[in-house]
Amino acid sequence: MQSFDCAIIGTGPAGMSAALRLSELGATVAVLDRAPSPGGQIYRAVAQSPLATPDKLGADYLSGADLVSAFSKSNVAWMPGADVWHLGDDGRIFYSQDNRTQELQCRQMLICPGAMERPMPIPGWTLPGVMTAGSAQVMLKSDAMAISDAIFAGSGPLLYLIVAQYLRLGIPIAGVVDTTPRQNYVAALPMLASALRQVGMLFKGLGLLREIQKSKVPFYRFATDLEVVGTDHAQGLRFQQDGASYELSGDAVLLHHGVVPNLNLARSIGLDHVFEPDQLAWRVKTSPFGQTSCPHIWVAGDGAGIVGANGAKHAGELAALGIGCELGLLDDVGRDQLAEAPRKASAGQSGFRRFIDRLYQPAPDLMLPTRDDTIVCRCEEQSLWDLRQGFQSGARDPNALKSLTRCGMGPCQGRQCGHIVSGLLAKWREEPVADVGYYRLRSPLRLLTLEELARLQDGESAR
Amino acid sequence: MKSDVLIIGGGIQGSATAYYLARHGVSVVVLEKDYVARHASGVNAGGVRLLGRDLAEVPLSKASMQMWQTLDEELGHETGFRAQSIVNIASDEKDMQALRSRQEIMRAEGHDHERIIDQSELRDLLPHVSPECVGGVTSSLDGYAIPYKATVAFRRAAERLGAVFCEGEELVGLRRVGETWLGQGRHQRFEADTVVNCAGAWADQIALMIGDNVPLSHAAPMLMITARMPHFAKPVVGAVSRQLSFKQFENGTVLIGGGAKGFADRARNATRLDYKKLAAAARTTAEFFPIMRSAAINRMWAGLEAYMPDNLPVIGPAVNADRAFHAFGFSAHGFQMGPIVGQTMADLVLKGQSRYALGAFRVDRFDRKVL
Repeated sequence: MQSFDCAIIGTGPAGMSAALRLSELGATVAVLDRAPSPGGQIYRAVAQSPLATPDKLGADYLSGADLVSAFSKSNVAWMPGADVWHLGDDGRIFYSQDNRTQELQCRQMLICPGAMERPMPIPGWTLPGVMTAGSAQVMLKSDAMAISDAIFAGSGPLLYLIVAQYLRLGIPIAGVVDTTPRQNYVAALPMLASALRQVGMLFKGLGLLREIQKSKVPFYRFATDLEVVGTDHAQGLRFQQDGASYELSGDAVLLHHGVVPNLNLARSIGLDHVFEPDQLAWRVKTSPFGQTSCPHIWVAGDGAGIVGANGAKHAGELAALGIGCELGLLDDVGRDQLAEAPRKASAGQSGFRRFIDRLYQPAPDLMLPTRDDTIVCRCEEQSLWDLRQGFQSGARDPNALKSLTRCGMGPCQGRQCGHIVSGLLAKWREEPVADVGYYRLRSPLRLLTLEELARLQDGESAR
Repeated sequence: MKSDVLIIGGGIQGSATAYYLARHGVSVVVLEKDYVARHASGVNAGGVRLLGRDLAEVPLSKASMQMWQTLDEELGHETGFRAQSIVNIASDEKDMQALRSRQEIMRAEGHDHERIIDQSELRDLLPHVSPECVGGVTSSLDGYAIPYKATVAFRRAAERLGAVFCEGEELVGLRRVGETWLGQGRHQRFEADTVVNCAGAWADQIALMIGDNVPLSHAAPMLMITARMPHFAKPVVGAVSRQLSFKQFENGTVLIGGGAKGFADRARNATRLDYKKLAAAARTTAEFFPIMRSAAINRMWAGLEAYMPDNLPVIGPAVNADRAFHAFGFSAHGFQMGPIVGQTMADLVLKGQSRYALGAFRVDRFDRKVL
């Protein structure tokens, strides 16, 4: 079995910058990612974009090429296409490469799981033809595929970025339906002053909105009561705006209202989590260096609370320093000296982050389903009505509700519906989400064939 | 909080005991440190199995099997029970010989629910079984249920009759003062004439509070379940001498057991899995049923279960205190016995006796002789 000082899971900005720093410090580092090339979601395929004009994706995207290039030249053990299915608190990692399970052992483990899009369970959100805007961006980055005449709906910087990318590439858009509530602008106003310290970021955001407004694409703001129209397939989007009802036609609806930390890896190890009220999301409980409740396991980047690409890069560096110190490669003083720059840089962004978090805080009735027939768990087709029945039968805990209704028992193992279920139980119990808790997630982190598991034997899995 | 009976543990034994007591108009409080069916009762394989039981358990198990047939109507809630034969596969002639000797003993005791089958009948029942298997034994009385649902069905039926369940309430102290048991929970105090210890993997700690010392251990039997696959096995499948156990549910998912154990961490309410042992279970499954090779494993888990050294439960009165009773240590085969244990405990509490021979289940059967 291969053994390393540190194993890093994920090659977004956090994972790559941590890998670079740790290898500089002299640690032996393994880096695993399910994707065939480094970059994570944000810099996906940046080094070999299938697009003829990748510059249309924006300067932020292209800037990732430098990090990817430095990473590719480093001496870390880079394992592309390594799909992790088990992370153990004993430092043992099982991952699949070409349908064969490999095993490695590490002294320190850094998880950089990134973010996932917040579910947006409006009526009809599970119809064919409905996707998240983020998945449309994945298609664009990795395969140069676009969806013509799509309706974009939701809120937040990533949504505006994808719309702007589509516009620059000349892909026709049926309409943009913005759900940012009017009162968010009022609520976010007091945070504007500290956000101005990142005036460049602010202008970037405003620039995206201006690009959308200047285009001829129909743009609706302050939309509420969204509903995907259609029976077997999406045929359009219905919504309200200032008391008037609208309906846009289109067979593709792309939803997005922000991202939340991807909990699935950290939850499967049983790391302590906290519910972050500013971001309305769970995150792993970490020290400033990213150390978790399990001292040899660290989390950096959006997985430990949404910080964005630059924030993730700094968090990755900080985690590398913390890990380097644990490994005895540098002392406390050295660590703190080197930590000063990334620490300052990330502190400088926090004002802007708070402003963005408040401005684009999702509308409550878009985070939780409101109609009885809206599906919550796609895998097992459990609706809001089914879950309420389960709750009324005495299942107050997410795991109890799962046992009773099968919500979260399907192939995704609740990795999609978990946020909604905890939110619904909090609402029904009239208690904070933090008290309700979350599903107990377990390995395997994805479906694993019996045949592949059967081949896992002592000695044989090592190369 | 005052009641006639205080039950410690909201698993299937505690919930069933609460139900049968409440049916007699007895006031009952159940303390559950987590939530009802959180541990072994909610996460086990759901086997409602009479086949292959220890002889001492057969009378109770048979009676329980009768109760399962009509339990949904009795409780007014779904337990997920399905009658389904079980087949234990014999992989060679040695296995067949073992089956024949057991059958002689069973016949002598008057039990005839187990039937030996030959290779061709095995293949009729399980067309996808490996051709090397030579026969087996089957019991057509058996079945399975959904563990969490069954336990909650008892709880809800008991509540309807007035029983009170306190979830998230751990018993931290218990003492007998005069004719009364005083229980100290984390949040409130309890008072009762009688206590019943159904605390599963924590039952030795409760037994100690009562005054009885038992050699209970705990472990984490592991299970895995696949995504839906085409129906290929109607009966529940086991093996005579190999660690093979699985069942395919109506929805097509296949639950694989086999008895391999992970790591149990009782203090933290947690279990860890031993993936190498799960891999061995996967190999055995694929060896007996090649069709399973392409099955997609969706989840692996383990629950905390209590074991006695002889793999038989403790069922009966406390020996070192009055008005206290035990039902625990079912050693990974207690789910099927839930209904009859509930009824038996109610009989013990109310009448001081049971119609079943409980000698093999005495709490003090491992007490050392004084030298």
